[in-house]
Amino acid sequence: MRRHKLRGWKSAAVLAVGVVAVAVWATSSLAASHAATVKIAIMTDCKGAFGFGYELDIGGAQAAFAQYAHGKPTNRAKPSAGMTNISVNGTSVQIVGYGCGNDTVPVAVTETKRLMEKLGADVMVGPLSGDEAVYVANYAKAHPTKTFIIGTAGSEDPTMQIHPANLFRYHGDGAQWNAGVGEIAYKKLGWRKAAIIIDDYSFGWTSGAGMILDFCAVGGNITKRVFPPLNTTDYAPFVRQLPPPGQVDGYFSAVGGTGTSAMLKAYEQAYGALEPSKWIGNLFFGFLGADKTVAPKLVGAYIGGTGTGPGLKTAQAKAYEAVIKKWYGPSKINPADLFVANYYNAGWALVQGLAKSGGQVGAALQAAMPQKLKEGYAVSNGGYATLDSRRQAIQDQYQLQLVKNPDGSVGPTTVAYVPGVDQSFGGLVKPTDPPYGRTVPTCKKVKTPWQGKIKIVKNGVITSAVYK
Amino acid sequence: MNPATWTHQQRVERTIAAIALVVLIIWPAAGWSPYWAHQILIETFLFGIAAASLIFLSAYGGMISLAQTALFGIAGVILGNLATSGGAGGTSKGLHLGWDPTLALVVAIVGTTAIGLIGGAVASRNTGIYFLMITLTYSVIATYTLGQVTKIGGFSGIGGINRYTPGWIGDLLKHPNRLYYIALGTAIVVYVLIRYVVRTPFGVSLQGVRDEPIRMSSLGYAVPLHRTLAFGFAAFLAALAGVLYVWWSGQIAPGNVDLPETISLLIMAVIGGLARIEGAWVGAFAFILMQNYISTSTHIPLVGFGGTLFGGSFNTVIGIIFLVVVIVSPDGLMGLWGRVFESKRETSGGG
Repeated sequence: MRRHKLRGWKSAAVLAVGVVAVAVWATSSLAASHAATVKIAIMTDCKGAFGFGYELDIGGAQAAFAQYAHGKPTNRAKPSAGMTNISVNGTSVQIVGYGCGNDTVPVAVTETKRLMEKLGADVMVGPLSGDEAVYVANYAKAHPTKTFIIGTAGSEDPTMQIHPANLFRYHGDGAQWNAGVGEIAYKKLGWRKAAIIIDDYSFGWTSGAGMILDFCAVGGNITKRVFPPLNTTDYAPFVRQLPPPGQVDGYFSAVGGTGTSAMLKAYEQAYGALEPSKWIGNLFFGFLGADKTVAPKLVGAYIGGTGTGPGLKTAQAKAYEAVIKKWYGPSKINPADLFVANYYNAGWALVQGLAKSGGQVGAALQAAMPQKLKEGYAVSNGGYATLDSRRQAIQDQYQLQLVKNPDGSVGPTTVAYVPGVDQSFGGLVKPTDPPYGRTVPTCKKVKTPWQGKIKIVKNGVITSAVYK
Repeated sequence: MNPATWTHQQRVERTIAAIALVVLIIWPAAGWSPYWAHQILIETFLFGIAAASLIFLSAYGGMISLAQTALFGIAGVILGNLATSGGAGGTSKGLHLGWDPTLALVVAIVGTTAIGLIGGAVASRNTGIYFLMITLTYSVIATYTLGQVTKIGGFSGIGGINRYTPGWIGDLLKHPNRLYYIALGTAIVVYVLIRYVVRTPFGVSLQGVRDEPIRMSSLGYAVPLHRTLAFGFAAFLAALAGVLYVWWSGQIAPGNVDLPETISLLIMAVIGGLARIEGAWVGAFAFILMQNYISTSTHIPLVGFGGTLFGGSFNTVIGIIFLVVVIVSPDGLMGLWGRVFESKRETSGGG
């Protein structure tokens, strides 16, 4: 029996060796400092509901580095394999790490600290999701020498209420993305009264706010707001809170992830078959896997956009899409996917900023970040998206419709062009206002800058006709 | 405290503790790896305090509590709601009442302790699996309350709390070493406090309640009251950890108190060892070290499989380690350490 027992100092020696090994392993992983190199980190999600966005985000950002900063992809079929040789006007740029979030705040804390403090990144491109961006904005405020360019997060707070001077967002927030969809509901579908069902968190509130602001601005009325918690699996109690079809003209949905399909199924069980003319969803009706689960049930339904114009046939859009295909064609990432496009724009903005700052980071880079960016799907303002005073993009938006493609699949196509949408909706929303939530914004008939100017897009071409 | 009366194990342990303390005290001043100081070690100190509150209840009260993470989060949420300010440039979530941070700090700790006393009173007549289930319920209630009562934060939580620290502490963002020493000092105080409390008449009778509750009751001791007070004391410790956490990370969200986080704290305590208070910091250190390096370190001989350890899956690795610890050494790493000396004593005795 004795031989099975741990033997005194031998065991202690084993423990000591283990401790030393761990210490060596840990300290050897601490990044060495490269003073002449700009260190950047790409923060995205590799787990959770948006884990599939990992390659899309990295691919988008790195395509910009490849196109404008001499970057060489290690594997064109797998962006996360890395990129070498990045330099801007002679300044070497190194990607020190990819963040692996899961769209929750605690993991965003760990990953942000790992990237910015352990790996010593000077600049973060990211994060991906709304709550992560709220955390990163607060973190940015506390770390003014670091620079943050939001990847593709759509919550309002980072640039409206928190707005640290070292944080930039070159795409719209979730409300901006939905600008125009309310007016289409009012004018095209004849809705006057509608109910809305919204995920009960930052991005859901922001996305729903865009629908509410736009629909109410043109004269519509939201008669009921329902807020299922995030990660709800049984939507029956929440769907039952919605008015039955006879009491409203339609429903807006800002329910995302796996919840979208479950929510609609609960609706079918409660009130019967889905009618595409009675439903408008945010991007979760047509993107991020919903094209296979949700869209086939709602062919013909309008959906909110993401700042990209799938199928748009402008020269600028074609040039952008060619860049993505050139560098990451084998990975089959979709250039019109919001993850790809937004990270690409963030990466490109960073290259321009570094070029202007002469490779300086910190305050010099922040001052040098471009105030306007020639984004792939931008049309107004000479084809540029511009930044407002809180470093938030004023960006053209595209509203979409679910259509059946020639191959039988169902997906979104661009049907409306909304020029120059700003985060404040033409001054309706102010930084001193409480952030979007269960009761904010209220329903008010007002004039938005784009009211009556939403142009019809047909076969990828922006026509001169407007929605009436 | 006469060294002459110390056992061999005590001599070795106290020597190691003294060396570790010296190293930890000079670490930030010496400029050694700021990442280790401001990330791994601060996290170790504060999660160690939370794990110590769990081990205190387990080792001296016979109560395995799954509510410590919830209490940790409640302290953070109270502080976040009271201390932060809203409006342009402020925090965007919560009540942001803009109280004096010192007052908010006191209310957060006292409020959490009071909630712990109430929760302890409700659970105090139960033991074993029933006590575990009741405290698990507290954890679930806390998660859903924080997530669904959006006025106090909601699913997104409250951010930027570490910009609102008491004046006598100063700006922890500009002076992270200050937070390091506060966390280290608090951990030491908590350790000493627990060692003191378990030697008081209350602590001794609590151990009696742990071992023989029926006999203690028949001797006239108020068993539920002892358990309630112990739970309240553990809530106080968890509150200290919660306050340190929000000063360190700046935020608190339902994700900080949900079931995976509750289990994580239990894993820290089990890996360190549920029988000795020191195990709290040993377990927290092991857990946080793995959490920080497993997903990124590559080329680990034999187990790396040519890439990151088990594909960089922290959950897989920690799960395997948890299983090994439970099977090989139910008293965790501290138990393994103790067996080194037991084995030596046996060898000496047999020789």
